[in-house]
Amino acid sequence: MSYLSKLNKRLNERYDGRVHATVQNGCLHLSGELPDWQEIVRAGHMAVDKKRFIGLVNDIRLEGQQIPPMRLPDLSDDALEGARPDVLVIGGGVTGCAIARELMRYRIGVLLVEKEHDVAMHASGRNDGMVHPGIDLRKGQTKKKYNDLGNSMYDTVCAELGVPFRRIGQYLCFYKTWMKPVIRASQFYWKRMHIPVRYMSSKELLRHEPNLNDEIRCALHFPTAGIVCPYGLTIAYAENAVDNGARLSLDTAVLDMEVAEGRIISVLTNRGRVYPKLVINAAGVFSEEIAKLAQDHFYSIHPRKGTNMILDKKSAYMVKTIASPINSDKRKEAHTKGGGIVRTVDGNLLVGPNAVETCERENFETNRESIQKIIAKHKKTSPALSDRDIITYFTGVRAATYEEDFIVTFGKFTENIIHAAGIQSPGLTAAPAIAVEVAAIAARYLGAGRNDSFNPIRKPIARTAEMTVEERNDMIKRDPAYGVIICRCEEVSLGEIRDALHRSVPCDTVDGVKRRVRPGMGRCQGGFCGPQVAQIIAGELGIPLEQVRKAGCEGNLLLGSNKEAI
Amino acid sequence: MIAASYDVVVIGGGPAGLAAALAAKKEGAGVLLIEREARLGGILKQCIHDGFGLVRFGEKLSGPEYAHRFIEPLLETDVDIATLTFVTGIEKQQGSYAITLVSREGINMTLAKSIVLACGCRERTSRQIGIHGRHCAGIFTAGAAQYYTNILGKLPARRCVILGSGDIGLIMARRLTLEGAEVIGVYEAKPTASGLMRNIYQCLEDFDIPLHTGKTVTRVFGDGRLEAVEISDVDDQMNPIAGTEETIQCDTLILSVGLIPANELAENLGIPLDPRTKGPVADQNCMTLQQGVFCCGNALHVNDLVDYVSESGETAGREAARFVPGERIFAELKADDSILYIVPQKLNLLDLSAPAVIYFRSASERGKTSLTVTAGSKQVYTKTFTVLRPPEMERIEIDFSGAGLKPGDSIEFSLAEDQ
Repeated sequence: MSYLSKLNKRLNERYDGRVHATVQNGCLHLSGELPDWQEIVRAGHMAVDKKRFIGLVNDIRLEGQQIPPMRLPDLSDDALEGARPDVLVIGGGVTGCAIARELMRYRIGVLLVEKEHDVAMHASGRNDGMVHPGIDLRKGQTKKKYNDLGNSMYDTVCAELGVPFRRIGQYLCFYKTWMKPVIRASQFYWKRMHIPVRYMSSKELLRHEPNLNDEIRCALHFPTAGIVCPYGLTIAYAENAVDNGARLSLDTAVLDMEVAEGRIISVLTNRGRVYPKLVINAAGVFSEEIAKLAQDHFYSIHPRKGTNMILDKKSAYMVKTIASPINSDKRKEAHTKGGGIVRTVDGNLLVGPNAVETCERENFETNRESIQKIIAKHKKTSPALSDRDIITYFTGVRAATYEEDFIVTFGKFTENIIHAAGIQSPGLTAAPAIAVEVAAIAARYLGAGRNDSFNPIRKPIARTAEMTVEERNDMIKRDPAYGVIICRCEEVSLGEIRDALHRSVPCDTVDGVKRRVRPGMGRCQGGFCGPQVAQIIAGELGIPLEQVRKAGCEGNLLLGSNKEAI
Repeated sequence: MIAASYDVVVIGGGPAGLAAALAAKKEGAGVLLIEREARLGGILKQCIHDGFGLVRFGEKLSGPEYAHRFIEPLLETDVDIATLTFVTGIEKQQGSYAITLVSREGINMTLAKSIVLACGCRERTSRQIGIHGRHCAGIFTAGAAQYYTNILGKLPARRCVILGSGDIGLIMARRLTLEGAEVIGVYEAKPTASGLMRNIYQCLEDFDIPLHTGKTVTRVFGDGRLEAVEISDVDDQMNPIAGTEETIQCDTLILSVGLIPANELAENLGIPLDPRTKGPVADQNCMTLQQGVFCCGNALHVNDLVDYVSESGETAGREAARFVPGERIFAELKADDSILYIVPQKLNLLDLSAPAVIYFRSASERGKTSLTVTAGSKQVYTKTFTVLRPPEMERIEIDFSGAGLKPGDSIEFSLAEDQ
């Protein structure tokens, strides 16, 4: 019996004839209707076979429920009408922004479109910021290749872009004494995978991390693990791309494509029709939609959300690096590396994430249960962990394929598209490497030469709180605004906020400023500095205070003047 | 201009710091007052409602008026005032404290023999009370909403729900109503209101704004701006009860869910905090367990009346000016479960010349109640109250000079229904 008939038999048994598999153009297609999203995802995982097919397309409909469509920007104009970039990059996440920047090393005209009001608004701004050593990756995976390469590039990339990066290492903790010899032996496995690792007794572990649970019997130390601010890196990539001549268009969504004879002729956006020579699909959870529009549909994205929380800096003493439990969940579906307790570059602790399948690609809601579960899970690693120290929490949605691997390739049916899709974890780690490769193959496709005037260096925004007295005095002498502290929790000066508002990637919202220079990231969460930041934005950009927004569209902070409605 | 050294450096130019600076000056000390904002007065600047100063001046003043009762005499003195100046670090040195300041002039260092921490408090946030859902615009702490309305003249709300019945929330319910917003109601998770009775009457009842107790906001909805909140009943453990959810359409959620002393500087100095007040542990002279570091006002514990903030500021300023390094011998002030907290937590037995001023809050609402203070088996003080409510702080004075206290003695405070 062929794979297909065997699969259909299994699907029939489980879903009573409601799901059917076919092969079309080398891709495995699932169709039918099921009432439960979790079952749709399960059917996908049941059917997937990376070796036999180009990809799995899961078209099983969700019965009786409307999956929310992509949220679109309110804006509608013709700012991009008739634009003829060499390359159109769709998606301003870390992958898209890194690709745009690497493309600037060549003589290529780049237009980067992002449907949100800022870059890094989806998964790239909503993850744990870990630069992974590659613990759970296997040989032959695309993500393994880019993770290993990306990890090794981080020091250079972050130095060029002026982004704080710390290679602090990760401890994987084990609780069973009988596992000790197994763990010791497992070092050889990772060494064969070219991942530096070292066995550590509990005594040695506690010497490095004295506040971890003393019931931990042994640990593996992965020294190549690091941390970075994920939205900080994305913004830096975007700024460096724009500084080098890339055009960035925010609030810009791709609505349609004109495809003829296996080529994308034009791309319709809410800001006009664009005629690119090459399209790069880095649209995250919406990359499948882009693939469909490009008539190059050979994979499906099943969104998987994860919640992280940030703890007060006073709890940071608990973990100085990254401490993770070994994933106790043996089920194959448990697609999370188990998360951990992470000391962020900004000196907070981050705890999480969890992993929950969802049909809602843009639902960033948090809930009580996830927070409680995550705290309970990681309390085992560091018993002093307490929900009382939580200062904020957030949810992100991973863009997973059923192959659970990255797709970095030219189109299968359409010639002038490159997909950088299915980039879930460790996408942040992999981004620098994916970008270099995608830019190289794009340049080859376009026959573009090197851009000799490319400047890889981005000037970061000064962080006066981290300067020496002399540096800080110099800075304040040049501009006294650097001596006026606006955010007391994170010690952010007026000068830093002004700088954030006048850079090459536009920023005009309270959250935009917060993501760039951190006012409101501290324990008071903007209670004191929020109104002041809003005033600074209004003043610097010459807009009425009522028009200052929290984040994207319609998120106005204020609803008018006093007594206006009376 | 900031001098190289001072007898007393007061950090914070709100009501506590203003009173402390004046009191220290009165003792003849060389004083520096540091304020991070451009103007003195602290949060009083945005409190344009009246009711300030009833205890102290026998008058109903607005916040700015009350502040000026201190700012004007202060400006008559030679106290150095550094506004738009932020303390980035305090380091203990031999016999003094080195304070690092940042301002438009650059980084300054100054030495202080003693320090008064008068940094006030901050508001609990939506995340600290576990509000979930989308992270949209339109969720404000009451203090931030008050700043927008009273300082900037802008309306943060058209149709709002207020969560928490703390005083600023009640004040803002009235304020927003007067400015043309609709306040749907005030929701309080606890079984009773957290604010002063006078604010319940004057801000809610007089404006027909309903107060719902035993309910909290469990979820918020809205993509850009807030569109609705979900309200649930809570059980005695404050956990939401499933099945009781109701959704209320609104564009704004205002939070008045508690204040926390701002104790970053005390934490950095390693000064022990009282888990009940969340401010530093202090003696009757407002000195913390760190010699020469004093704390007062809402940084010490959250007060309901500014009059008491000023009083503790005066104590801290006066004692900071008089400070001479030396040993203190403590008896412990302890409260049982009938009392929410008590300040001070320590009594320096070497300084019993004046009666000790003691503040406490009852843990629950009570009718006629007796406070009994015992040391060993001896009753040293008793007082009867007709009514006690947790939101209303009580102030008593006790003369311990005749109590025969020994080092390490426990002085026990307890409330019991009056027979």
